[in-house]
Amino acid sequence: MRRYLRLYFYFIKFSLSKAMQFRLDFFFRIFMDIVFYLVQFFFFNIIYKHTTLLAGWDLEQMNLFVAAFIFADAFHMTVFANNSWWFPISINQGKLDYYLTKPVSSFFFIGFKELAANSFLNLIIATGVLYYFLQPFILDVPKWQISSFILLLLHGAFLYYMIYMIFLLPVFWTGSDRGFADIFYAAEKITHRPDGIFTGFFRRFFLTILPFSMIASYPTRFLFTETEQLSIFTDIAIGSGIVYIIVFILWKLGLRNYSSASS
Amino acid sequence: MIKVEGLNKTFKVHKKEPGLAGSAKALFKRNYIVKNALEDINLNLDEGEIIGLLGANGAGKTTLIKILSGIIHSSSGNVNIMGHNPWDRHNDYRKSMSVIMGQKAQLWWDLPPMDGFLLLKEIYQIHHKDFYESIEHLSEILNVKEQLNIQVRKLSLGERMKVELIAALLHKPKIIFLDEPTIGLDISAQKTVRKFIKEYRKEYNPTMILTSHYMDDIEELCPRIAILRAGQKVFDGDLSNLHNQYAKNKLLKAHVKNEEDLQKLSTQFPSELGTIELAKNEISISSPRAKVMDAARYLLNNADIIDLNIKEEEISNIVEKIMMKSGDKVE
Repeated sequence: MRRYLRLYFYFIKFSLSKAMQFRLDFFFRIFMDIVFYLVQFFFFNIIYKHTTLLAGWDLEQMNLFVAAFIFADAFHMTVFANNSWWFPISINQGKLDYYLTKPVSSFFFIGFKELAANSFLNLIIATGVLYYFLQPFILDVPKWQISSFILLLLHGAFLYYMIYMIFLLPVFWTGSDRGFADIFYAAEKITHRPDGIFTGFFRRFFLTILPFSMIASYPTRFLFTETEQLSIFTDIAIGSGIVYIIVFILWKLGLRNYSSASS
Repeated sequence: MIKVEGLNKTFKVHKKEPGLAGSAKALFKRNYIVKNALEDINLNLDEGEIIGLLGANGAGKTTLIKILSGIIHSSSGNVNIMGHNPWDRHNDYRKSMSVIMGQKAQLWWDLPPMDGFLLLKEIYQIHHKDFYESIEHLSEILNVKEQLNIQVRKLSLGERMKVELIAALLHKPKIIFLDEPTIGLDISAQKTVRKFIKEYRKEYNPTMILTSHYMDDIEELCPRIAILRAGQKVFDGDLSNLHNQYAKNKLLKAHVKNEEDLQKLSTQFPSELGTIELAKNEISISSPRAKVMDAARYLLNNADIIDLNIKEEEISNIVEKIMMKSGDKVE
């Protein structure tokens, strides 16, 4: 574990040196993400002009949910996004070769090797936003519950990456340089909606097969509930466990099928 | 050390008709062809041995290297390298081998080589003192000390290959796969790389498999070669045996002093001693190996010869013939 942390330290160092060489891109991404955050808050605040409750949550709770998924999104963008973006291209162009010959987990390599340094500033902003919208709840909610909420959001960012990988790993067979990323991007919008608005089949679907609701909505629900913490935690463990098993199997089968590229 | 038995690798390749219509057709019906990249390959290498792998483009050299280094799986057959099956990708195996691909880089493009080396130090858990000693030693031999802190993308192709070599050898691997390490390099850089590999072998005695399109690489570094043709191994043996097995003739070149002798030889030279070709005052005779001394004697006795030269056929010509022709395998 310590070895992997040291390796990650190098990845961070390298990514920072690299990112700072391209100034325009560095600032543009920050601007782009801030616009995305503002649009999300704006959207829900408009809805609450017509209602006082949505999926059982008032505006204060909804703002915290938005801050929660923005935080999970910023964490994902900082740690995983660049890597998942390059993953299908690496497979398509045979760039996995060297990673497979190194005595470290190649899954770790492809998932963590590039930190998006320009998104790191957004993560700081997103942390500030989350802190701000947590204020109304800080006195009423026990500290352990707040800490668990933060940990579940960090886990949510990883889960988001792992769900994305389910859509990317088929590149081992299709050989395309996008995988099924477009389908993923169409579906992942569910992350931006509270799970309470879904009922029946769709609710079960987004809690099990594609557990987008486990990324930010369930952690937020975990914070608000006084009695259901254990069942929420169990649901998250089962939902994400299934995703991890699918990714593991696809990865192993994919490597068997990896054909590299001609020299 | 390396034992390969009955190794096969097939690729299923989608064959698309040209143009937009072909692409549209392929959406509904695809034609696949199965390409045999490697067929029944057997290979044994002892510890410290080096073998040169030769073959035309697409003969299967790189595929073999990729299978042996665990990058891709085989379709069937067995490989045992120091007790490991390479595509199990066991860390013990990956720590003890290294692969260098002339057409691919492992160092980070936007960073200086030294940063990449530090990452490799962590990956291979190289001791601090050993690491800096290796860097000092290898960069001195390759003469790239000044380049270690310059971004990789700003280095010349030759310098890049040198720092890639350092990156691949920092952990002192016991097995090294070199896939066209001199490709694209100028003559001087090729020589430096060859000299380096030679010296490195002398010092550390690793087992090596080298592929190259340059015969100079092979002749200088590999006493043993294997030739692949369309995925099949068609020759495996000493480079020196190539002449005996494949070059039936030797080449005699003689400078003849006067025109009369030249004309006389062209008409009277015995055909059983070889076939003769004339050019100005020079004569070339392709003579059967067993008759070459008789041919030389005949020339000296029957003409005023200024200079006589007996040569083996160029290795590259023999290899080219083997690579191109269809025929029996030679072990």
